Amino acid sequence: MSNLQPRPVLGEPARYTFPKPQRVKAGGGTVVAIDIPGQPYVAVRLVQTAGGAGEPLEHMGVATLVNEVLEDGFDGNSSLAPALERYGAEWVSRIGWDSFITGVDAPANRIKDAVSLFAAAVRTPALRTEDVVRRRDQLVERFWLEASVASTLAARTIGGQLFTGRYATPLSGGPVHQQELTPETVRRFHADNIASVAGTLVVVGDLTGVDLEEIGRTVFGDAAPAPQRRTVAPEGAPGELPRVVVLDRPGSVQSAIVLAHRAPARAEVDLPKVEGMSDVLGGMFTSRLNMELRERLGYTYGVGCRFDLRRDSGVFVISTQVEAPTTAHSVTATLEQIRKLQDEGVTESELNAVRESNTVGMPVSYATAGRLAGALVESVVHDLPEDHVDRLRAGFDRLTADDLRDSAREYLHPQEAVVIVAGDAESLRGPLEETGVGPVTVRDPETLWT
Amino acid sequence: MQELVTTNGAAGRITQYKLDNGLRLIVAPAATGQVAAVNLWYGVGSRHEVPGRTGFAHLFEHLMFQGSGNAAKGDHFDAIERLGGDINASTSSDRTNYYETVPDHALDLALWLEADRLATLRDGMSQEVLDNQRDVVKNERRQRYDNVPYGTAFERILAHAYPEGHPYHHPTIGSMADLDAADLEYVLSFHEAHYGPDNLVLTVVSNLDPDDVHERVQRYFGGIPARTVTAVAPDAVLEGPLGGPKSEVVKENVPAPAVFLIYRVAPYGTREFDIMQLASAVLGQGQGSRMYRRLVVERGLANDDGGSSADLVNFRYTPGLFFVSMIAREGVGGEELETAMLDEIATLAEGVTEEELERARAVLERDHLQAISTPGGLADALGSCTQLFDDPELVYTWPERWADITTDDIVEHAKRLLTPENRLSLRFEAEAEAETAEPAEA
Repeated sequence: MSNLQPRPVLGEPARYTFPKPQRVKAGGGTVVAIDIPGQPYVAVRLVQTAGGAGEPLEHMGVATLVNEVLEDGFDGNSSLAPALERYGAEWVSRIGWDSFITGVDAPANRIKDAVSLFAAAVRTPALRTEDVVRRRDQLVERFWLEASVASTLAARTIGGQLFTGRYATPLSGGPVHQQELTPETVRRFHADNIASVAGTLVVVGDLTGVDLEEIGRTVFGDAAPAPQRRTVAPEGAPGELPRVVVLDRPGSVQSAIVLAHRAPARAEVDLPKVEGMSDVLGGMFTSRLNMELRERLGYTYGVGCRFDLRRDSGVFVISTQVEAPTTAHSVTATLEQIRKLQDEGVTESELNAVRESNTVGMPVSYATAGRLAGALVESVVHDLPEDHVDRLRAGFDRLTADDLRDSAREYLHPQEAVVIVAGDAESLRGPLEETGVGPVTVRDPETLWT
Repeated sequence: MQELVTTNGAAGRITQYKLDNGLRLIVAPAATGQVAAVNLWYGVGSRHEVPGRTGFAHLFEHLMFQGSGNAAKGDHFDAIERLGGDINASTSSDRTNYYETVPDHALDLALWLEADRLATLRDGMSQEVLDNQRDVVKNERRQRYDNVPYGTAFERILAHAYPEGHPYHHPTIGSMADLDAADLEYVLSFHEAHYGPDNLVLTVVSNLDPDDVHERVQRYFGGIPARTVTAVAPDAVLEGPLGGPKSEVVKENVPAPAVFLIYRVAPYGTREFDIMQLASAVLGQGQGSRMYRRLVVERGLANDDGGSSADLVNFRYTPGLFFVSMIAREGVGGEELETAMLDEIATLAEGVTEEELERARAVLERDHLQAISTPGGLADALGSCTQLFDDPELVYTWPERWADITTDDIVEHAKRLLTPENRLSLRFEAEAEAETAEPAEA
């Protein structure tokens, strides 16, 4: 038989300090950079504030379309990506409710060339009519392709169930609003919000020989500093809560379930308390929801929860996909886990898991250029102090079991939730009504955004 | 061609060890500090499964997290998550991979957990956990195959591209019936047959001293005996073309028609594979590729958000697949799209420009270098090159494989391989619109 060692006892972890970023002013913008010697791919991200939340209601989805059409480049006709590919670089873009992110990942020794192409694409893109129309029409069709996946369908339904105003419609504007966007609207949005606004440039990688000020000047040009942002809390959607909405997918062998309710804005919460509590409920493999629905009941491949915290409000979401006949019980078992957490709080072991994973685990969290860049982008989007990562660690270090129990009581609101189920309505309606969670309505997915 | 990225002098800093029990250890430096990426490649995959036992290698991967002689169910995940670690596993036809990236003070714990389930998994196994994970895997199958549009495409492609009884005829997930039939006795025998240190490549990427890492691995794994009998993989040899033209039309509830065109090519690691990988990049990788330029931008026939319509399936021990797929735009029929794709594929045999080849090389090199730019990604690539090719240094020299391939090489291979005799066509049509489509045949 084998000769095995006893389980090792861990020593003290080395103390981790988030790298202090360099800050370089260039024209109307700021470059924020972290040097990682030996990291040959540099992540470059331009952070601007023109996300979906600030779009005028008559032009919902325009930020998404502009973000997409920038990839046609300075010369138009989808010319940017092939040009970047010659430098071994790759275009990166992401539109959020509070942010408009563009960038490149480029080899350190080709960063100057790649950034020149990038800057021309963002500041002076062709925005040709035929490119805008092509990208727009593809976005509309892709919306339905993606919504044919049950989990995506359920997730995209959340906004309309919880909010009125901009958040009631998906970030891309949904198929109807997106289809109405014109090339002129795109050009105007770009001129007002992207071309003329400097923003903040995040640069992470091996910066040996990289002139940050020169890169900043290339990207910012003569664009003006970003204007002050205003936030106005959105209104909720009408209707009785809690309630169940079934999105009919006849014959589905699984149901995609989302339980969602509104939450405060990011700036209004003590993040370690909220995220720590969310970790216990559904943020890790060993979280309560996953241990119950997957590891004990075998209903699902996985379940999780998270807070999506924006500048003016937030959403709490639990999501999973379960075998169809277990749908109703999955909903009540989920609600039971919330109730238990609120009533009984967390165990000492759970508290320690949350504290340790968010403190000891920091070298892993920031082990790649992309993740470091992500932390810097987040700090720009939410106006966080330079040492916000270290402050977060201190917050997790201070957490107590009472904090997490109180957080569960303060921030989890099953009585104000909407349960969205994408699945076979005919077989699900009865069992879902029998749960007594709330009134059950059935919707045809094709009518959701038309 | 100019080198895109210098490799940070990392080549030559790989250290290799072999324990007396056959375990191969690869140690390499990390680009960021204070972490240890631990990666295990076991030389067992779904190719080792026999008829009636499909899906077993993958189900077994799940069971490896369900407790062993000295770790309770869930303990492995719990211990690593507490450290903020990245942890998971995956199974393919050719191998089973387990990994965790942890703060480097926890390297010993990660090694101990891995050693314990290698040595004593059979002591922790029970009917209860088997039943639970069988249900979980069946839900994974529903989520990835049965409840998503086009989800069964790959399963259908394998069934057509590899003959009945061939070890690559079925997908890693297996069938519901075979999952139902899995029994505890077979679980135990599977572990005994395939899970030995002599079938394992263990990679550690960190900034710790290689000899120190070796000493720790020796401590935890050195006492585990090698397998007494080495499992033999079923014969996967296949000669000649795919036996086409084959075609299948599937009528399902899909949002738009989709077309998959498949050709048989030589196994991963051969020069033919490398040439066809460049051909696939010319044809369908990136927005500078032919399929994107012609069918997405110019003709508006296909919906594609970034240009990823062609690639290779990289089986190591049997011929791989040249794989082209697209989804039709509104108002475009599946047959129309298929004809347009075939026309575009045919252009490869007519010629490739130097500029196209340069772009293709740059795309492949970029993807490779990005993949190994993280500690976990580097560890995985080292494990792969060692388990499949017995040479970890290949990780750093891989792009050189494409350096001397010429446009003539691509044209010659396209003429020989992208032919009707070597082709499988799989088309999905929306149920209501498929009335006039031809019946399925294979």
